[in-house]
Amino acid sequence: MSSVNLRELTKRYAGGATLSLDSMNLEIAHGEFICLVGPSGCGKTTALRMIAGLESVTSGEIEIGDRVVNDLPPRDRDIALVFQSYALYPHMTVYGNMSFGLELRKVPKDEIKAAVTDAARILDLEEYLDRKPAQLSGGQRQRVALGRAIVRNPAAFLMDEPLSNLDAKLRVQTRAEIARLHHRLGATMIYVTHDQVEAMTMADRIAVLNMGKLEQVGSPRELYDRPANQFVAGFIGSPSMNFMPLLVENVDGAIRVVSAQHHMDVILSDAEADAIRRAGVSNVVLGVRPEHIDNQPRRDLGLEIRASVEVIEFLGNEVHVHVSSGDDELVVIVDARTPLSIGDTLTLSAPSDGLHFFHPETGVVLR
Amino acid sequence: MAKSTSVDDRRLVPLAKRLRPSRVVLNVVLGIVAIFWLVPTISLLVISLRPEALFGQSGWWKVFTAPSQLTWGNYAAIFSQGFHTGGVLDSLMTSLEITIPATILVALISSLAAYSLVFGYWRGRDIIFLVIVGLMVVPLQVALIPVVQFYRELGNLFGLNPYGTIPGVIIFHVAFGLPFGIFLMRNFFTGIPKDLLEAGRIEGAGEWKIFYRIVLPLALPAIASLAIFQFIWVWNDLLVALVFLGGNVHAPLTIFLYDQTRSLAANYWIVSTGAVVSIVIPLIVFFSFQRYFIRGVLAGAVK
Repeated sequence: MSSVNLRELTKRYAGGATLSLDSMNLEIAHGEFICLVGPSGCGKTTALRMIAGLESVTSGEIEIGDRVVNDLPPRDRDIALVFQSYALYPHMTVYGNMSFGLELRKVPKDEIKAAVTDAARILDLEEYLDRKPAQLSGGQRQRVALGRAIVRNPAAFLMDEPLSNLDAKLRVQTRAEIARLHHRLGATMIYVTHDQVEAMTMADRIAVLNMGKLEQVGSPRELYDRPANQFVAGFIGSPSMNFMPLLVENVDGAIRVVSAQHHMDVILSDAEADAIRRAGVSNVVLGVRPEHIDNQPRRDLGLEIRASVEVIEFLGNEVHVHVSSGDDELVVIVDARTPLSIGDTLTLSAPSDGLHFFHPETGVVLR
Repeated sequence: MAKSTSVDDRRLVPLAKRLRPSRVVLNVVLGIVAIFWLVPTISLLVISLRPEALFGQSGWWKVFTAPSQLTWGNYAAIFSQGFHTGGVLDSLMTSLEITIPATILVALISSLAAYSLVFGYWRGRDIIFLVIVGLMVVPLQVALIPVVQFYRELGNLFGLNPYGTIPGVIIFHVAFGLPFGIFLMRNFFTGIPKDLLEAGRIEGAGEWKIFYRIVLPLALPAIASLAIFQFIWVWNDLLVALVFLGGNVHAPLTIFLYDQTRSLAANYWIVSTGAVVSIVIPLIVFFSFQRYFIRGVLAGAVK
């Protein structure tokens, strides 16, 4: 079985003051498509390169299948890596690029031919087998890089931002292609990206990293609906979640949250009030997604806020409205047919299930 | 789609542009300079193709008014001597025996050293490289006597004295070719994306496979230029051969030609014919390696 387990995986670069990867624990099941996602320098590529064997392990364990591979060279780990740069061998033809790994493993010639032809058919590369990488377009090169991985039929596919060199349209197309490929091969895939949209659209589960630490692991829906902390809440979703600092008032045992300038009003559910009481904090950060804010007064529980329109971004199917309210700036998504002009004052609301409360210092969600 | 620029692009210069007055003037000037530079070589060629007796009577340019003077006689004479020791063919073989191994060894050792300097993981790579670059300024004349002594010491210790032998000359040439060779190859290797090596490593290649299946093919242009330089340096060397092969009966072409000009009554027919022969080999090497000078070999490797 080709599951991949990371146990307390840690990386410190020589001379590095901080840990590039800090005690990462992750169990990746056989056949799972997992995305490591996070901003630049969060350690996602380091983690991938450690799994591949291109970086040494400072401490912790990497297990592929049922073998601990810490001390195995890359070639003995039965993995394939698709590079951001594709890393095609420029002096070899497409066929040569795809067959190189099998050749090195002394696979019989006819088997190599069958594997390459098969991969070329899947990736629509049959007519380019005799070309050199320089004669291919970016998208074709990208497919050759995928093909090179496929022919080896590895235990796990590692991909390091494979789409970031493609233009927007091709990226969407290839995204679907990779998802289809994963479905077809049923192979374990570990995919690194800084683009949360890629992660959300392709992954079975997403691991969000920040500054070397694993912030949260979960399905795209879990991460979207129930972010564990303010970082994940802000990272997943586009446009980003709005955050507003609020004060906590405890009046005769009843918990209320108010804004310093009283420009917004929140009616807490009992569960929310309990969570905030248990945390024992004097202020909280309220998070609410732009798509969960309605352009209408509040019905029962939740947030109500009066704000004035500052910027209107028309996207065709919807409109992103930047509004300000007191010191807070929010983004709100409204229906494209809503008549709006700059300077309008709106009464906006968000239902209770669209609200997230975070600890003001640790950023951990209060539940 | 990025097309690699190749040498063929000059054919794309449109006719109108090629016939522009500024271009015509440029080409005429370049042509004159080229002919000027070629005169000594052409005269040498003509002298070698005229009978020996005519050499003292008239200048070589007379051949333009009397083409019937041209003859293969000198070449026939020089080659008819065969491979006997001290003859021109024997010297030609000796030159090749020295130059070919010296060139191959420099190209091979330089590439291996540069591979380690660029892609290896060991402390002090940069310092070693700087020391090697520093060695390029050492003139080979200063090393002649110490190396002769060193060779003699080797003889005393192991009974193998390279002095006076062809391997002795080869070792000297290799040693002095390496600093430049390593410098050239190292600088070329730094341009090869590390991703390519890592890709190879993941696919199952060991260091040696990575070296000769990935790095070496990509470095062909650099190796070709290094080989041409090294070949011509060693081929044209007289000093090292004189010092280290002084007593050997087999002398390279440079010594052979030098021996023919020493006396007042030089054998001009042998000198000119031998000199032409000694030019032909480097020309063959140059033109056979020239095709590797194609720009953009790395195109398409990484985006």
